[in-house]
Amino acid sequence: MIIKTAVDIPSSEITSHSAYLNRRKFMQQSGLALAAMGLSSAASSLESHEGQPPRFGPDWLSQQVAGATETPFGKGEKLTPYRDVTSYNNFYEFGTGKDDPARNAGSLITDPWSVTVEGECETQGSFNLEDILKSMPLEERIYRLRCVEAWSMVIPWIGFPLADLIKRFKPLSSAKYVEFTTLEAPKQMIGQRSRFSTIDWPYVEALRIDEAMNPLTLMAVGLYGEVLPKQNGAPLRLVIPWKYGFKSIKSIVKIRFTETPPINTWQAIAPREYGFYANVNPEVSHPRWSQAKERRLPSGLFSANRIETQMFNGYGEQVAHLYKGMDLRKNY
Amino acid sequence: MTVFIRRCLIFSALFTPFAYIFAQIVALQMGNYDILGPEPGKAITWFTGQWAFNSLLLTLAVTPLKSWLGWKWLVVHRRMLGLFVMFYATLHLFSYVIFLLAWEWGDIGSELIERPYLTLGFIAWLLLIPLTITSTKGWQRRLKRNWKSLHKLVYLIAILCAVHYLLQIRSNWFEPTLYALIALLLLGQRFSWKALKGYFNRS
Repeated sequence: MIIKTAVDIPSSEITSHSAYLNRRKFMQQSGLALAAMGLSSAASSLESHEGQPPRFGPDWLSQQVAGATETPFGKGEKLTPYRDVTSYNNFYEFGTGKDDPARNAGSLITDPWSVTVEGECETQGSFNLEDILKSMPLEERIYRLRCVEAWSMVIPWIGFPLADLIKRFKPLSSAKYVEFTTLEAPKQMIGQRSRFSTIDWPYVEALRIDEAMNPLTLMAVGLYGEVLPKQNGAPLRLVIPWKYGFKSIKSIVKIRFTETPPINTWQAIAPREYGFYANVNPEVSHPRWSQAKERRLPSGLFSANRIETQMFNGYGEQVAHLYKGMDLRKNY
Repeated sequence: MTVFIRRCLIFSALFTPFAYIFAQIVALQMGNYDILGPEPGKAITWFTGQWAFNSLLLTLAVTPLKSWLGWKWLVVHRRMLGLFVMFYATLHLFSYVIFLLAWEWGDIGSELIERPYLTLGFIAWLLLIPLTITSTKGWQRRLKRNWKSLHKLVYLIAILCAVHYLLQIRSNWFEPTLYALIALLLLGQRFSWKALKGYFNRS
């Protein structure tokens, strides 16, 4: 398989971690200046978290996350403030309200963590997170995240290309799809105890193998220079920036290679509304709302910050070839 | 308790949610950013929609409460309850159009036509207009018997609102279903009670 490099990265562009911290410091100072001018929302988007001890996860992980290298992905994008990224979440395992995950995810046990690998691959078994991350270089990538609910964020993730992980398991030629499963632990996840949910736990999401191997597909373990907060899908989650957010499955405990297309959770609940692919597409409406525009958060009251949604969330150059010849109205 | 005091109490009770959300908006505009989250427009639209529906259910509860508990005193206050429905429904509609659609006229038109839940919500609001206009004593006199038939439109409005809410379920069906069931119960009382009475009178 030919894996196209998404962006050419000249070595001069790769910034050291100290330069990253310097940039942060600059941003913090300019943030304070803006705050002094009374532009509170502008200032809040530039807030910084350096200098604080890592708040989540084991030490070895926070150290590894802190050592992530910067990449040119998303350079120049205005970041969504940390506070919004970590307090406005869809993670139904912890409740259906946007603020429920931040409130309820504390009960999730993320250390120790292991991932089961099975199906059409040579290397199978259960792997500790520590083993998975061993000798896996981490990088920071700033990606746009477009929720199917027509809001979006810009998030600096820390992780590694999913392809690098998949190669280790040596998928067979019969492995046409990769299925991911979220932890099912009603004792830790209050939303899984709810009787008022239509979701059949555990949450499942899948990709075609070529989508999974695309260099854009990221397995994340951190954001904003820190280990992933639990409400953001700690300790291990997918980030597929050209698909609606629900494809980016959180708190992954199982990876399974299959020959036939798996059925995703939302696809099973409402097949007319959520297809297998769920690629961001402004031309194909959700049956209950338009996808032509999105609110880039944070949105103010009288400045909703509505912007046009881009095909493949603006990542067409890297991923459009995956869907050549497909009718994206049918394969939504 | 005099009617006046009761009127003041009911008014304050139903005005409080508005005062609360208004204070939130003022705080937000003054820079207290945390207060309504990163999508304040959505939060306000939900809040005002919820209170429009609450007021509607209260309005519809007047007759059942009269027949079940003998609370005849409530009937005097039904007009005010009904006007609160219009008050919150209008805030709801405007906060959707202003905060969420940012006054983009093209989008407003296409959204209202293409999205069934929005179409139904909008029709419900349109139907509230004649009821609001004819809520005065003068119109009550002028319309005579027709006034009562006209104001039975509120039953249709309740059904539209229930469906408007049900159509928005993604995964959590509890609240929309609860609202729909209460609306059904309150509407059902009007028909079943009469039907039962009729049955017993005949035998």
